Amino acid sequence: MGNAGGLFHLRDGAVISVESPGSPGVESLLLSSGRIEEADWTAALVESVETRSLQAALVGRGVIGAAELQGLVVDGVQDGAFAAAVGEIERHVVDEGSDPPLLPATEGVAPDLLLAATGRRLEAIASFSLSPYRDRVVPGGAAEEASTAARREIVALADGRRTARDLAFALGRRLYPVTVEIGLMLADGLLEIAPPATSFRCSHWGLAALRPRAEVRPDLGISLKSSEV
Amino acid sequence: MFVLSGSTFPILKGSELDYDALSAELRKLRENVAGVTDTVIAASDGIPIVADVAKNIDPAHISALAAADLGIARQAAEVIGLGTLSQTVVFGSEGYMAVYAIGRLSLMVVLGDKGLNLGRLLHETRPVIERVGAILSA
Repeated sequence: MGNAGGLFHLRDGAVISVESPGSPGVESLLLSSGRIEEADWTAALVESVETRSLQAALVGRGVIGAAELQGLVVDGVQDGAFAAAVGEIERHVVDEGSDPPLLPATEGVAPDLLLAATGRRLEAIASFSLSPYRDRVVPGGAAEEASTAARREIVALADGRRTARDLAFALGRRLYPVTVEIGLMLADGLLEIAPPATSFRCSHWGLAALRPRAEVRPDLGISLKSSEV
Repeated sequence: MFVLSGSTFPILKGSELDYDALSAELRKLRENVAGVTDTVIAASDGIPIVADVAKNIDPAHISALAAADLGIARQAAEVIGLGTLSQTVVFGSEGYMAVYAIGRLSLMVVLGDKGLNLGRLLHETRPVIERVGAILSA
């Protein structure tokens, strides 16, 4: 538990799924990329209520192969573990009664392997000094030099309010590769860390105080200027 | 530019709301809960009080929708006998809109993306609602 935190599903000592608010799940990836139509996904979900297997429902509809889907699921375990580890972990609880994951990995990932892989990923992003949850990015001075479509898409979505995690969800891509891409783009001057004034812009339109209706004459309007603080 | 015709929000004439304190609460909420994208505090009649939203979001529209949403939910809770309404949440395939009652006179809207952890949001929001309520009635 924490921010983002994560839910690790284990079976027979292996991690079969990690769900984290920091890591876009298989559903986000498949739907955002257009790999699967939302109608097909929804129909498979409905079907899986009785059969208890979303994978069987998706494969049965012929929209994706089992191998491709399992590849995404295992990748999701790795990214979910990274998302939980790179954030703040406040405490942990073991829950033996939780619902099984929607899309479990058939062959789970051994915890020691997952730990080692996550450690390598944390080390890999350490040089960027970029927090995927705290740092919000804006286009930098060299933003127009973004050479790939993926980079141009990140520049377009970097409004100063979004963190690497927020951009990963907006793009429908995994947290780790998006964090690495943003780290490299910061180094190249394509992006910059946004100042707090850009990231948090609370506005009350110059309004000093609202008054009770009883004190407002029917023909009197309060005109608000759109100024920001 | 907004031209508004007043609000039922009962702040005494001459008193000034502590907007900085309200803004700090909205900021903390977005920092502490992954997936929160925008927040608005409004009077329960739909007049926005303070907002922390992306450029493409109009706080006046969100406040009006949230007030209507909360009004219907509150009435449902009362008619069906569900007790005092605390929140109502709209689930979309791309994200969430959670609306929290702050007493009977104001509300807070939280917009979130698909990854938002609603359980965590509820947990983090409870003390925020308490503090925002205290700031609004100070």
